[in-house]
Amino acid sequence: MSPILAISGLGKQFGGVTALAGVDLAVEEGEILGVVGPNGSGKTTLFNVVTGVHKPSGGTVLFRGRDITGLAPHAISRAGIGYTFQQAMAFAGLGVLENVQIAGEHRRAGGAANPWPTPQALLDFVGLSALGGEKAGVLPFGSLRLLGLALALATRPSLLLLDEPAAGLNDRETSALVGLVRQLPGHGITVCVIDHDMKLMQMLCRRLAVLDFGSKIADGPTEKVLADPKVLDVYLGGDL
Amino acid sequence: MKTGNALRSLLPVLVILALIAAVPLFSPSNRFLSLAISAGTNVIALYGLSVLFGQTGILSMGHAALVGVGAYAAAILARDFGVGFWTALPVAALASAVFAMIVGIPSLRVGGHHFVIMTFAFGQLLAIVLTNGGDYTGAATGLDIAGPVTLFGADMSDLTRYYLMVVAFVTAAAVASWAIIHSSYGRTLRAIRENEKLAASLGINVGRHKIGAFVVSGVFAGISGVLLAYFLGHISPSQFSSFPSIYLALMVMIGGARLIEGPLAGGILVAFLPEVLNLDPVQSRIVYGVCLIAVIMLLPDGLIGGIVRALRVAFSGKPKQEAERDAAPSEARQ
Ligand SMILES: Nc1ncnc2c1ncn2[C@@H]1O[C@H](COP(=O)(O)OP(=O)(O)OP(=O)(O)O)[C@@H](O)[C@H]1O
Ligand SMILES: [Mg+2]
Repeated sequence: MSPILAISGLGKQFGGVTALAGVDLAVEEGEILGVVGPNGSGKTTLFNVVTGVHKPSGGTVLFRGRDITGLAPHAISRAGIGYTFQQAMAFAGLGVLENVQIAGEHRRAGGAANPWPTPQALLDFVGLSALGGEKAGVLPFGSLRLLGLALALATRPSLLLLDEPAAGLNDRETSALVGLVRQLPGHGITVCVIDHDMKLMQMLCRRLAVLDFGSKIADGPTEKVLADPKVLDVYLGGDL
Repeated sequence: MKTGNALRSLLPVLVILALIAAVPLFSPSNRFLSLAISAGTNVIALYGLSVLFGQTGILSMGHAALVGVGAYAAAILARDFGVGFWTALPVAALASAVFAMIVGIPSLRVGGHHFVIMTFAFGQLLAIVLTNGGDYTGAATGLDIAGPVTLFGADMSDLTRYYLMVVAFVTAAAVASWAIIHSSYGRTLRAIRENEKLAASLGINVGRHKIGAFVVSGVFAGISGVLLAYFLGHISPSQFSSFPSIYLALMVMIGGARLIEGPLAGGILVAFLPEVLNLDPVQSRIVYGVCLIAVIMLLPDGLIGGIVRALRVAFSGKPKQEAERDAAPSEARQ
């Protein structure tokens, strides 16, 4: 089966800094793929370029066979790619329910049956239904992350990119998040997740890709990748 | 938002406007009616500005220029094509909307503070063009616009009748702005105001909607311009330059741009305050300046927002906020 997302030779320069140096990566339909790498290795840049936040300096991105390289963020969202940013965010001045409502109003028409037909159903799913009447700006950090997930899901993506979704969460919140993310492939949502927490990645992902200085240095089954001397080398003295 | 709640938010404005419509029963002076009519035309423009600034978070310092486009369109249509008030209304609204688009497309691309400067420059530019337009625009003296405004055969030129007609237009503008606020379109604009990056990631075409909001504000401005032109009977470039634009921005901020009562309060206050306090133009400018600084520093939701909050505190003991309210930071904590 052809991959849902096929990234080839993707490059990104910021002035003199090479954030991505020609990355090839294929995301298979229905999987939860992990992307790891040291700080500054280009993980967020990879997501930003795929989702149109930044224009690539080179390379192509195919989503379900369609070339989406360099499209605007809203067009990529409507094509079916959801994104939660590394910096948790919501529409702070608006109500929690209104946040989710807005997020569901701009997706493309049609598509498969929606597992969460209403904003309320989505809030139930992420466990925020009790907070629907609050303003997003007053949510505690953990709830803000969950709201971010609900917003991305409201666009009904078939591929969801999560950039450090568990950063800043406590253990209880993290395991709740793991529970949610694991259900996504069952709802027809392929997931690609960045995180530094290898325990979390082992729980979520059967496959890992490793970035270092903007290049992919490993890609394969999680256990194999984590035993790879090249990967251990990169993380020497790090958090592995 | 539930329709019941939404409707209830419209009610206070309708009640106030009903009271305002009853004013002629108390045989007000002509001076009062004239002031009220020009305040009313401002309020219509302010409802457009509240969609742009209050909902979308974009500040225009050229709104009076869009009013001017409407006013000149009405005057030129009447002079060259013999077109009357009611036909001029939609045409002038369209003309202002098109101008907004022409200014908005390049200006909103550069974003943020540049937009404020671009709209300011547009206001100045329009005044210069009108001043140097020769006979076509009447140069610095401007244009006369004569011709009766009739409604179902009745002559509306009489001051009291014109007053009532303007109140009707203000009501329509308030209802239109209320409908926008409570629609999915209004939610989209608020999302852009709160966080453009997030909005884009959720499928919102931020650039297009910002231009759209500016165009919508232009429609309100154009209608305001026609009403103003027919009321004054004479228009000139200086009425639509940067100073009047700054006044409009000031009025909407003083009243509170996010609340449906805000434009009404701002327009009335700025029109009648100098009258009530018996201030000369220089003094009233100083008072407005001080008001503006006070509002920006103390009442981010404007005067009405401040009053509503104070009442809430007085009745429930704690401030509670609503969706359209509150100047929250555009990004949640990092
Ligand atoms: N907008 C930008 N402008 C300039 N340089 C940038 C920009 N975004 C990223 N970079 C640079 O690109 C490189 C990769 O950054 P990126 O944020 O992709 O790393 P990361 O792998 O996500 O790191 P972390 O784990 O800390 O989030 C870094 O050197 C960073 O400084
Ligand atoms: Mg990152």
